[in-house]
Amino acid sequence: MRRPRGVLSVRCMETVIETHALTKKFGERVAVNGVDLTVAAGVAFGFLGPNGAGKTTMIRTLLGLTQPTSGDVALLGLPQPAKRAEALARVGAIVEEPKFHPHLTGRENLKIVAAARDRAAEGRIADSLERVGLAHRADDRVKTYSLGMRQRLGIARCLLADPALLILDEPMNGLDPAGILDMRRLIRSFVDEGRTVFLSSHLLDEVEKTCDQVAIVDQGVVIVQGAVGEIAAQGEPTLLIEIDDAATARKVLGGESRVTHVEDEGASSLRLTLGDGLVPAEINRALVNAGVAVSRLEPARATLEETFLSITSRLGANE
Amino acid sequence: MRLIGAEVLKLVRRRGLMAWSLLLTVGTVLIAEIVLVVLHAVNPSHHGPAGGATNLEHYVFLASGLGNVAAILIGATAGTQDASNGVFRDLVVTGRKRSALFNVRVPGALAVFLPILALGLGLAIAGSFVLAGGLPNASGATIAKYVEYAVAITTINIIIAVGLAAFASSRVVVGVLIAWNAIVSQLLMQISSLGSVRKGIDVAAAEHFMPLTSNGGGARIAMSAVTALLVLVGWALVFTRAGRWWTVRRDA
Repeated sequence: MRRPRGVLSVRCMETVIETHALTKKFGERVAVNGVDLTVAAGVAFGFLGPNGAGKTTMIRTLLGLTQPTSGDVALLGLPQPAKRAEALARVGAIVEEPKFHPHLTGRENLKIVAAARDRAAEGRIADSLERVGLAHRADDRVKTYSLGMRQRLGIARCLLADPALLILDEPMNGLDPAGILDMRRLIRSFVDEGRTVFLSSHLLDEVEKTCDQVAIVDQGVVIVQGAVGEIAAQGEPTLLIEIDDAATARKVLGGESRVTHVEDEGASSLRLTLGDGLVPAEINRALVNAGVAVSRLEPARATLEETFLSITSRLGANE
Repeated sequence: MRLIGAEVLKLVRRRGLMAWSLLLTVGTVLIAEIVLVVLHAVNPSHHGPAGGATNLEHYVFLASGLGNVAAILIGATAGTQDASNGVFRDLVVTGRKRSALFNVRVPGALAVFLPILALGLGLAIAGSFVLAGGLPNASGATIAKYVEYAVAITTINIIIAVGLAAFASSRVVVGVLIAWNAIVSQLLMQISSLGSVRKGIDVAAAEHFMPLTSNGGGARIAMSAVTALLVLVGWALVFTRAGRWWTVRRDA
């Protein structure tokens, strides 16, 4: 598919999504709570949170599918809802599970949506189907498609807009491992073309593998946002040690207040969480001095998952 | 026009809907003609020819009466299918105005139904001439009146069905509208104490366009053509506005 002029122009734009104090309430329940979100152009941005965190409501509010209770939204630098049509003409979105008219074929379903877009959209149908690998099934009725095929058809529908911004709600849902890999490649290829992909997910591993930037959301609040690596690094460092005497090692480590957590990893292995500037060499020295033989000492980088769990558990503990 | 074309595509690809619409609007006329031809052939002294002006009236009654059911089915489907299939939100996120998405539903439904009605009426009119035998044929003016009536009653029901189904977000309106047309409105029109209030009934207004015949003229509520037209437009406006209002307002 040719790179559109629109995508290039958005590359010059600093942010494609910007919200200020965005709030959505359903009665007394606050689904989105004063969210300030900034998504830079040309990245894959993960909107990460557990089920019920408010991810889909946030997406629906961004797209104008439901009206915010308060706050401001700008898409592609255009204020919403004032410039809604102008912005959405360059946005492709899948909200929740992709839905289609089941009695129509994949191609016909794309025709329906292309008719609602500009005239060029119809000319993109064949390319879009080809791009997601559905050209061979394009003339079959959608009711015969698997969930994975419907996810891909949903992506093809997004591409009709030749979008500068794709908003994908849980795009990996229902996909088998091969499908997840394909989807990840597809998303990265969009980013390589200069498009921005905003995807929501509760699959931390997928966000870590697919996205450049991430915002962690829980209970309608964005807790932290930034580069995936930076956020993962916010977690406390861990150290995996292999020793000959786990009981003595535990006793030694128990006397070191900067070891915040000790966890068994097997008969002769322990995983330590280090706090307050404690370095592995100090652990090694303390164990050797106590007569414990150390056969392995492996610092581990915190994964996004560990950081996420650490952040959300802290949040839960503070309540 | 492209959006109307999309509406037509969504409707005509529904095989069941199309089959029922053809059966109700065209098939019943064809069956009636075949039955009358067979009866005439078997016992010509007791059963007259299958054509002529009187039989045309029966055929038109079938095509418009049962065609009305098809019109309601098509209208209700057009009014709800985007939302019921979960596709409405995907159309909304194209940036198209919701009112524009609603506004194409009636033209789309009419573009699907009116050719079917034309086929049913064409078959009725052709049959009345071809099978007339020695019976008198309907005049051009009478035929025009029949067509006016059939188009008026079915069009108003399509518009009401689209609007009401979009407003209620449910195809239950099919049953409600069939009951209204077949039972409730007919009962109300029989209550003479309601007086001129009965002129406000859409069915009464549509019947104004039906030619006075041996069967159809007696129960008619007297009103001018302008009043009948205004009543039909009023009904169309009320239900269209209700459907558009909810389509614009609802969460997608």
